[in-house]
Amino acid sequence: MNDYLEVRNLSKSFEGFQLHNITFTLPKGYIMGLIGPNGSGKTTTIKLILNMLKRTSGEVKILGFDNIASEQEAKRNLGVVFDSNYFSDEWKISQVEKSVSAFYENWNTQKFSETLKRFHIQPSKKVKELSKGMQMKLMLACAFSYDAKLLILDEPTSGLDPVSRDELLHILSEYIEDGEHSVLFSTHITGDLERAADYITYISYGELFFSGGKDEFIDSFRIVKGGCEELSTDLGKKMLGIRNFSTGFEALVKTEDLKQFAHLNVEPATIDDIVVFTSKRGEQYE
Amino acid sequence: MSNIWKSAKLDFSLVKPYVKTICFTMVLPVVFAAINRSLLTGISFAMCFIAMTTGYTFSITEKNSMERLYGILPIRKSDMVIGRYIFIIIMGLTALIFSLIAHPVILTILGESISIFDYISAAVTGIFLFALYTVFQLPGYYRFGSIKGRVFMYIPVAGFLITLLLITKSPVGESKLLFTVINSPILLMLLAVIFVIAMYIVSILVSIKILKNKEM
Repeated sequence: MNDYLEVRNLSKSFEGFQLHNITFTLPKGYIMGLIGPNGSGKTTTIKLILNMLKRTSGEVKILGFDNIASEQEAKRNLGVVFDSNYFSDEWKISQVEKSVSAFYENWNTQKFSETLKRFHIQPSKKVKELSKGMQMKLMLACAFSYDAKLLILDEPTSGLDPVSRDELLHILSEYIEDGEHSVLFSTHITGDLERAADYITYISYGELFFSGGKDEFIDSFRIVKGGCEELSTDLGKKMLGIRNFSTGFEALVKTEDLKQFAHLNVEPATIDDIVVFTSKRGEQYE
Repeated sequence: MSNIWKSAKLDFSLVKPYVKTICFTMVLPVVFAAINRSLLTGISFAMCFIAMTTGYTFSITEKNSMERLYGILPIRKSDMVIGRYIFIIIMGLTALIFSLIAHPVILTILGESISIFDYISAAVTGIFLFALYTVFQLPGYYRFGSIKGRVFMYIPVAGFLITLLLITKSPVGESKLLFTVINSPILLMLLAVIFVIAMYIVSILVSIKILKNKEM
């Protein structure tokens, strides 16, 4: 099996929000960043993958298993880290192991102890005594202990200081090194993705904007800059997003349309640029 | 170990830090038994009190957003529900056994004599009351959460009062079947046990349906 996660035409309707036809695949051995502004549907997508929300339509396969019809099999090799801890505050770390390990046949106690040691987590401590970063590492330690093939992380870096974020990215990079593990990583801190992700799936307002290689994603867009007199209506129509200043403008354009902007100053776009400009849906703002 | 049993164990680990509090709720019914000089009264109160603590698992789950943990574990939702019922029934039975030992000790010290029949009738009544409270409460907790769901506990109380009212206003003596049941303790107990099992089956099925349709 080459794809650890397959999401096809996934849709979900809420009152006032719709996630529409999300399709992407995550091959084994890679990290995929799931990006989009707040409220774009990242967490909804993850909850649908985990069958914590009921999908309106579509299909999800985790490690080849349908996430509803074969939910148990699908979740046996799946590790999940949320933005906050999901263990009882009153549990000691040893109790966390006792409570969770029973559900995983391939739980390795020695590996759990080693990971705790590596993460500097004392087994005698209570969950509530751990910092947010440590709680996240505890969730990771659990996933590592049953050798979860696919890790899904929902905004794991939000609320973490730069040192902890850097450490997490290092851990994830190590985790996929053997080519047998994959990571789906939702975040709105795009700087993390520039460093760690191989693939990007970008959801905007519930719609899939892009899914593919990170380099391809970044290379698909350019920032063009020019003076006010250089901005014509025709050019404006080709711009995906524009920021006006008193002296000129800067805009996001597709690389394929670049010929029409040849007279302007062209710069590479960052993931942040792409997300910010496209989230504004071409609105002008100052 | 089956997933149902693992789920029951997980629920136990949730309430483990609160065991002392739960044990404390078992002390007060001993006092009630002593004041009323009645094993039946003591056991009835004990089972009512322990039924009130069944919301702990739901409260702790809500407080710690642990529905996300339950959501990622490789276990069927039906196994989670049955596991929780089993844990709660074990809690009830533990409270019953404790009460059936502690209450008679106090009553004997106070000079009351207790027959085997008193034991059996108190135990069956206790089980029946506990079941009556929990079969309504648990689906309520699954559907509305630990705070709103608590209101479901009062359904049996209301039902009890309405039944009493209907019985006193209806000509019970004219119903041959009812008369036979009331005057045959063994038949009454047997019916209570059958009723308890049936209630739990229905309650479990309702809770499974609620959880399967619930979005976390």
